[in-house]
Amino acid sequence: MTDQVADTGYSAERRGLSTKHREWVAGYLFVLPDALGLFIFLGVPMVLSLIIGFFEVDGFGAYRFVGLANYARMMNDPLFWKSARVTALYAVMLVPLLYVCGLGLALLVQKTTRFNAVMRSMFFAPHIVSLVVVALVWQLMAVDKIGVLSRLLSALGFGGVSLLGNPSFALIAVVAVSLWFLMGYYMLIFLGGLQDIPAQYYEAAEIDGAGPVQRFWYITLPLLKPTSFFVLMVSMVAAVAGAQAFDIIYVMTKGGPANATSVLILYIYQQAFGFGAFGYAAAMASILVITLMLLTAVLFFFTRGGRFDHD
Amino acid sequence: MTESARKKESRSAPGLNRRNVLIGGAALAAGGIGGFPFINRMAVRAQDAPLQFWQFYAPGGQVAPQVEWFEKTIADWNDSHEQKIELVYVPNSEYINGTKLATSFASGTGPDIFIISPGDFLRYYNGGVLHDLTPFIDEAARKDFAESVIANRMVDGKIYGIPMEVEPMAMYYSVKAFEEAGLNENDVPKTWEELLEVAKKLTTPERYGVLFETTPGYYQNFTWYPFLWQGGGEFQGKDGKSAFDSPATVQALKFWQDAINSGVAPRQVLGNGANDATANLGSGYCAMQNVGIWAISQLVNNAPDVPFGVFRLPTPPGGKYVTVGGGWAFVANAKGRNPDVAAEFCAWALASMDQGSIERVVNWCTKAKSDMPPRNSALEAGSDAFNKGVMGIFSKEIHPGTRAEPRVPPQVYKIISDAIQQTQLGGADPQAAATAASQQLDAFLASYSGAPIL
Repeated sequence: MTDQVADTGYSAERRGLSTKHREWVAGYLFVLPDALGLFIFLGVPMVLSLIIGFFEVDGFGAYRFVGLANYARMMNDPLFWKSARVTALYAVMLVPLLYVCGLGLALLVQKTTRFNAVMRSMFFAPHIVSLVVVALVWQLMAVDKIGVLSRLLSALGFGGVSLLGNPSFALIAVVAVSLWFLMGYYMLIFLGGLQDIPAQYYEAAEIDGAGPVQRFWYITLPLLKPTSFFVLMVSMVAAVAGAQAFDIIYVMTKGGPANATSVLILYIYQQAFGFGAFGYAAAMASILVITLMLLTAVLFFFTRGGRFDHD
Repeated sequence: MTESARKKESRSAPGLNRRNVLIGGAALAAGGIGGFPFINRMAVRAQDAPLQFWQFYAPGGQVAPQVEWFEKTIADWNDSHEQKIELVYVPNSEYINGTKLATSFASGTGPDIFIISPGDFLRYYNGGVLHDLTPFIDEAARKDFAESVIANRMVDGKIYGIPMEVEPMAMYYSVKAFEEAGLNENDVPKTWEELLEVAKKLTTPERYGVLFETTPGYYQNFTWYPFLWQGGGEFQGKDGKSAFDSPATVQALKFWQDAINSGVAPRQVLGNGANDATANLGSGYCAMQNVGIWAISQLVNNAPDVPFGVFRLPTPPGGKYVTVGGGWAFVANAKGRNPDVAAEFCAWALASMDQGSIERVVNWCTKAKSDMPPRNSALEAGSDAFNKGVMGIFSKEIHPGTRAEPRVPPQVYKIISDAIQQTQLGGADPQAAATAASQQLDAFLASYSGAPIL
């Protein structure tokens, strides 16, 4: 028996495991409950969904193997492509805006003062409200003619503009509500990243005569790379998967007007639960997941796996 | 053992170490898993449990008389029958519009009895879950239902759903808004052109002249069909092919588009949608609203200070008056625990010649709701209520032109919905939208093999 083993207070010989192995087993046991949960509630449904995508499912227990027919249908379904375009547009608008606004807010309230503490809470506050409530309140504010926003637009000379009833504006309105809801959350993540940057760097830069813009450009932004990577990846996945968009759109526009806000996740939902086409919906969900995996892989590739500490 | 190891051991609580915690945890988990047989036994016991009746009225619904009607119906049945039934309230947003009903059937645990509208009939019939109710309905009771009301619940001469109500669409107007614009009941429009002209007079910076549904969905299609029919349009011809690419379709699409483009109708509606008269007409958001007979009770109960009137849908040049009548029906699950008893209940509740059954229909249509009855005997028995006030206008002027809500598969609904949305709100050319939709309809109808679309 070595001193190292004896020091743990347990007899390794009795168990036949070294300390390293025991810790290895303990580590996996700690991870096991979460891994089991992920496996049962995410892994298994994902595999089942992939399998169901090869069947025609009528929603009443009848399954018929159709091979790649659901995927072929997708290729010729104009609403699938329309929804894919809307989803891409939503992500392209939302992700950069979230990055800029999240970082901007974090920079504004970075210093620890009482006023900033209040402002931080206020910026984060929308995130703790139910998305359904958020969507209902914004819907009411954007109602034609009598909504607060409509009155404001009218006062500014844009009377008659329907924010949620006009296909040209509806998606922009949905992006704006998503941004309002999410930017406080990303502000917090950026604040964590900013606090990790040593103050000495800024002091040294100031002594060397660097202005605020230079300090931001040459110190803050490069050292925020890991945080930026995280924010871009998470917000992109959320935008494409419709994590928040679904609730907001379901309440505010139901995918209208004229399918202008019909993101892919809403179309998948409609096909499954509205039309009972579970097989087709599963096939579309599989394509969505594969797209997300590809996008994430591309992001990992260009950022070398998100490792920035070797720059 | 080293000194530090001894100290650690002495600090540990007797019998409580990582090993014991893990063993204890495993034992608890095993106990939990061992409990599953009890759950299975519960499932076995559930065979004897009351049949479940899913709907969105009771218990705990929003309108007290409707809750009471359902509760009394079930109590009366349970008092006189061995197999009990219990009500399961499912909020409407989770019912047809949500996932609960769909997922319950997908997992083989659908309710024994439930209610559906014509818009959903084919989905459930083609899914094989609607039980044949014909053997449980007397011939006299069968004849008591108006043909136009029962037809879209029938396939091959058999009845698969018993309607509770008929809900024709009409136009409602605010008397106050009319007076403010110097109009009176003699100015109610009779043609589409007149409707837009009157709406223009009623439009103010705070109010729209007229309101049609703008949210995509089954309900929007339902409200648009009369405008299609009035010009002689159909979405399917007698040859089974699409008939959507017609002048009647184009003019109906254009009419709704003109209402939006001229600024007299909103692109958004308030409340629960254009079926909500309180939130729209009652709040002063619009002066005229396209809504069904149920709006009478909505306005009387929730907006008592808003005097209103009704008039039948205006018609296009050379058109014929027709409106659409919706309404829900009791159905029994053919794959439920006891389909025959479920079917017997549906017939007992709504389709028996017993006085209790007729009174039940009268009470639902006059006390719980403000609807037209699907049965001639109920119309006669409740003639006092059906012939006075606004209900009287419905009985005499509006309801006689009622055509049953079409039953269409979801794919057909979506094609028509997209055509309406693209023209009404997307600014698309009505002719181009009608042609494109017609081509899609033809492609779908060529491969459709379910029950006839009506």
